[in-house]
Amino acid sequence: MGDSSTSYIHMVQHLIEKCLIFNMTKEECMEALSKHANIKPVITSTVWNELEKENKEFFEAYAQSQSKQDRMSEEETSQMIQKMISDSSNKDPSE
Amino acid sequence: MLAVSPLRNTSKDESKGEMESFIINSEEFPDFTDGNLLESIDFDDLFLGIDVEGDVLPDLEMDPEILAELPAVSGGEESDMNTSVEKTDEDDNPKKEEENRVSSSNKENEEIVSQREEPKVVKTPSKDGYKGRKSSTKAKNNNNQGTRKIKVDWTPELHRRFVQAVEQLGVDKAVPSRILEIMGIDCLTRHNIASHLQKYRSHRKHLLAREAEAASWIHRRQIYGGATPVSGGAKRDMNPWIPPTIGFPPMASSASPMHHQNHHFRPLHVWGHPTMDRSLMHLWPKHLAPHTPSPPPRPAWGPPPPADPSFWHHHRVPNGQTPGTPCFPPPLTAAPTRFGAIPVPGIPPHHAMYKADAGIGTIAGQLGHHPLIDFHPSRESIDAAIGDVLSKPWLPLPIGLKPPSTDGVLVELQRKGVPQIPPSCA
Repeated sequence: MGDSSTSYIHMVQHLIEKCLIFNMTKEECMEALSKHANIKPVITSTVWNELEKENKEFFEAYAQSQSKQDRMSEEETSQMIQKMISDSSNKDPSE
Repeated sequence: MLAVSPLRNTSKDESKGEMESFIINSEEFPDFTDGNLLESIDFDDLFLGIDVEGDVLPDLEMDPEILAELPAVSGGEESDMNTSVEKTDEDDNPKKEEENRVSSSNKENEEIVSQREEPKVVKTPSKDGYKGRKSSTKAKNNNNQGTRKIKVDWTPELHRRFVQAVEQLGVDKAVPSRILEIMGIDCLTRHNIASHLQKYRSHRKHLLAREAEAASWIHRRQIYGGATPVSGGAKRDMNPWIPPTIGFPPMASSASPMHHQNHHFRPLHVWGHPTMDRSLMHLWPKHLAPHTPSPPPRPAWGPPPPADPSFWHHHRVPNGQTPGTPCFPPPLTAAPTRFGAIPVPGIPPHHAMYKADAGIGTIAGQLGHHPLIDFHPSRESIDAAIGDVLSKPWLPLPIGLKPPSTDGVLVELQRKGVPQIPPSCA
């Protein structure tokens, strides 16, 4: 019983870490996991919070780097990337 | 008999040694309600060999001598000791070097006297005092006045206590006067602490800024790598020739040693290689073409790898470790075999994948040459990354954060109305 919960939590952690690599915020992460992996936002949020407790320094630095980011360029770069991707692949490579 | 609680400062582990001596001492100390004890104390003797730094109470063998020497001084000792006991007394006796505190200890003495009734003030442990003293003199032997501004020698021990105090208060909230109180070292003036604090804070900022920058730098890089499922292999591919010191070591451990070693960041930045761009560049071609160790910045992707299971297999075997994944080595050993069978499990068209990789790789290549372009990930890349995790749960954690406790999470979820996970209905 506990084992499946643990592995589920592990999976959610893994997904969150992927989002962290993308420098997403907690809310973005909740949305992405809900949309792409069918994980309830409350679960994502809880695991995120717990991860933050365990890894305070990481999240502090993460928050700092986030605040440093120029969010203005986010959209531009996002569009640029999307364009590039669609140019290159012409289709959605995901399964 | 003193109704002194032997555990003056149970909270501080450093005082454990002292506690012992407290216990021992309390039995032997005559009652000292006399406020004039100080006068009878021969402070010179008391201060001999005392090291302000010493948290430990060494020399128990000193006790008999001490006791012999100061039958009448116990009161004075106690006041001194109380003051000099390190970090023990938050209430009334900040640790002070006896040398410095001779004058102030009078006050302390009075306080102590009045507090005799209270068990928490440890009046007796002269041994303590001595022990504390002993340690203190080593550090700052020459200062008998105490509050005079001296050049402070920030020994590692002293600094450690400083950091402890600061962390206790919270870096931003740490006020020199409070720090001084907590450290309980009278040799330090507020000014000393204030300037040290300033240095410490700027140092920390510097560290954190670097770390954050390194982290986001790496993450940026990883985005390209993580954009497609194949990139997982790419990341690993790079490992063979790049020492697996990469990745994101837990911040906690990296934060402290980093302050004197900038190159710690190097691996983070560069995946263990001086030129990040190049190493990254040939990352992508990696999985696209049979691996070539030469790091030419190849914008042109080599022929898509033959999706050769052995290729994947080969490259994944040695590394079990994506950088920064201390957590799950075991699954990795099994991984290679699976990789052989699953070059692109969820991605039917290899070519599409490669194209995507190429596209993203190109983007990355272009962006890679720019320092830290901040951008929001595309939906496709997020979806791909998530899909990667879902389909290959054995993959190591990309960051390798310390996992939360299962119980903690479950309890929290239950509080929020989620009785079990995985939920039966998504």
